[in-house]
Amino acid sequence: MKVLMFGWEFPPHIAGGLGTACYGLTKGLTQHNVEVIFVMPKTFGDEDQSRIKIINASEVEFDARYWKEHLFEHQVSFIEINSQLVPYIGLDDYYHIINQLKSDVFQSAESGQKLRYQFSGRYSENLLVEVQNYALVAAELAHTQTFDIIHAHDWLTYKAGIAAQQISGKPLVVHVHATEFDRSGEHNINDIVYAMEREGMLAADAVCAVSDFTRHIIIEKYGVPEEKVFTLHNAVEFGNKEIKRTRPLKEKIVTFLGRVTFQKGPEYFVETAKKVLKYDNNVRFVMAGDGDQIQHIIEYAAESGIADKFHFTGFLQGDDIETLFGMSDVYVMPSISEPFGISPLEAMSAGVPVIISKQSGVSEILQYAIKVDFWDVDAMADAIWGILHYPALSEMFSACGKQEVHQLQWANTAARLKEIYKQLLHL
Amino acid sequence: MKNICFHFQINQPYRLRTYRFFDINKNHDYFDDFQNSYLTNRLAERCYLPANEMLGKLIKACPEAAFSFSIAGSSLKMFETYCPQVIDSFKELFKTGRVEFTGSTLTHSLASLHNKSAFLEQVRLQETLLKQFFDVKPSSFCNTEIIYSDEMGEWLHEAGYTVVLTEGAKHILGWKNPGYLYCNPFCTELKLLLRNYQLSDDITLRFEDKSWDQYPLTAKKYVDFLNGIDHTAPYLNLYMDYETIGEIHPKESGIFDFFDTLIHLLTASKNYRFILPCEVEKSQEKISTMHAPWPISCSGEEKDTAEWLGNEMQQEAFEQLYKLEPLYLNSTNAEAKKNWLRLQAADHFHFMSTKWLPQSAVKRNFDVYPSPYKAFINFMNVLNDVKIELEK
Repeated sequence: MKVLMFGWEFPPHIAGGLGTACYGLTKGLTQHNVEVIFVMPKTFGDEDQSRIKIINASEVEFDARYWKEHLFEHQVSFIEINSQLVPYIGLDDYYHIINQLKSDVFQSAESGQKLRYQFSGRYSENLLVEVQNYALVAAELAHTQTFDIIHAHDWLTYKAGIAAQQISGKPLVVHVHATEFDRSGEHNINDIVYAMEREGMLAADAVCAVSDFTRHIIIEKYGVPEEKVFTLHNAVEFGNKEIKRTRPLKEKIVTFLGRVTFQKGPEYFVETAKKVLKYDNNVRFVMAGDGDQIQHIIEYAAESGIADKFHFTGFLQGDDIETLFGMSDVYVMPSISEPFGISPLEAMSAGVPVIISKQSGVSEILQYAIKVDFWDVDAMADAIWGILHYPALSEMFSACGKQEVHQLQWANTAARLKEIYKQLLHL
Repeated sequence: MKNICFHFQINQPYRLRTYRFFDINKNHDYFDDFQNSYLTNRLAERCYLPANEMLGKLIKACPEAAFSFSIAGSSLKMFETYCPQVIDSFKELFKTGRVEFTGSTLTHSLASLHNKSAFLEQVRLQETLLKQFFDVKPSSFCNTEIIYSDEMGEWLHEAGYTVVLTEGAKHILGWKNPGYLYCNPFCTELKLLLRNYQLSDDITLRFEDKSWDQYPLTAKKYVDFLNGIDHTAPYLNLYMDYETIGEIHPKESGIFDFFDTLIHLLTASKNYRFILPCEVEKSQEKISTMHAPWPISCSGEEKDTAEWLGNEMQQEAFEQLYKLEPLYLNSTNAEAKKNWLRLQAADHFHFMSTKWLPQSAVKRNFDVYPSPYKAFINFMNVLNDVKIELEK
């Protein structure tokens, strides 16, 4: 079995959890004898190609005009690109970019002329241009490569997936790692992104969701028939590296790690900190990460009079994350809407007890975690207090949590995915 | 002739409300009055009142029928507060002379697993309460979740008990048959009546189990089961939660009709004689010893105490709880003392159990916590406040 897979990023050059998930999934698939051709807009040459073949879309020559017309016949619509958007940034930044942009990016090429398009592969201002050119590359690849099934990760690649599906006639699986509702919240939905997500989901022969939480959104908000939506929980891969526990301060440390955006619920973390600090001065709260809400949160913490016990580290990577986990006594993820949420698993792997919001996909698969509603700051404060003051609880979480996350294997997720493939191929 | 002993256990704990750490040392109001009142009334309506009525009628129709009860003091107190007609109904039933109230712990406590003095305090307080409500002094005893060990047997004998009801646990009995009377090996005057858990569970666990090959269970079929066991064994002891009648199996399942018919069939048969635990006291037959070096209970397949003390949280909470015993003994704060006793209820520990997907279907009903962790944190918060109150 051979899969033509479209992604947007791949380790080590990643902006979020998408690339990591793609890497784990492809690795798991190869363990089950599924061959993977992984296409991405731009490669850097240092990706792990030991198991899968990676195609750099920037190096594929394609006849843009031919494929555009051809796809048009297959009812694949191309929108006029004069609207710009970038995911993973806040609204403030977003409008800033919109205002700066000019609408002269529409490109066309002579008929019969083969060209390459130099993708940036980033979440840049030219995103929609890239998305559409990526679909043209996909059409070219669907024509030249041999494969049995197509798999597209997140909305940026759905158009490519549909193009490949139309040209090859092979079944399409789209994989939903996040929806516009997770990124922008209920009332700030970007219509273009929503439309492209929905188009991909409806065109797909099967839709994979990273959690039941996301599956529910797909069915309810996108109107996708539920019989073709499957939950495929993410897994996580850990090195053998043991994270050293250190205790540099006399106070206990409670950590938030993630993008500081509205959807991650940073405000609830501050609110909780206020409650705990009122009764226990022997705690420090750390917010690691950056985002459009950071300014606001810093001001809020200062206003609340807890700035001496509430710390900001900015964006952390690699070793710094491990050091922070090594120091932490509790990890809190108060997300308002989290399709999956891999970082609690990393915390647990480091032996840190975790408190996660019920509005997260990862809460569906964890037993050794305290689950609270993101808005229930009393419950969150109580849970933090419990872990900090009742050692039996933290000891149990530390030991059992570690064990639990190490049982989450990509190979198991991939096995389930292979079953879905088989079903689509009538094998 | 087989002696058949029906024993019903009643316990509902004082359920805790959500008690946050910022309530500690501020607010000593730990119990969820609404929930406690609601559940007591619900159980009274569905189970205690109609079941008492049925048993009263049965005793009238078949005077040889007899039933034994152990009612935790905390339940009696809740009846008194929320639903006093249940007390009257039991008093009425007791007047028939065919009903026994055995001794038990006051608050469905696990104290017997911790130490003698805390346990006997519970036993003594329960005796006071039984005297007050029914004017009886029990001579037989049914511990929380029928927990028993050799050592506990000795303590109970010291406290004046002569008969103890416990589990016919296979791993303790080995080849021995639970249908005989046994005694404590170190204190042979203490007699043991062992539960036949297969036949008891046929009713409590399997009565409504559609996947059971014997479903549906009729009274006639059940009597056939009883007739099918070893004829020579003189005792058949069926112990169950009273809530089996009407709550665990609702009225619509036919459980009332089942019991009604069953008792009629058994009293009509020449093969069975109803007995009460206290009647065994005077029995002169030769009996063998049963050695229980470690505690047994009615829990799960293992018949051990892991359901309440199986994980670190439960053990920690348990230790912290009994650390307060000296404070309890020295305190003059009656309210705090009462609360310390109430916190001993086995249910609080059960709620902290991490036996995932619990098989113990019977006991999981009315679980008020979304997770065992919340149960633990909540309990510990309350315990900390009780501690402060006892220290004052």
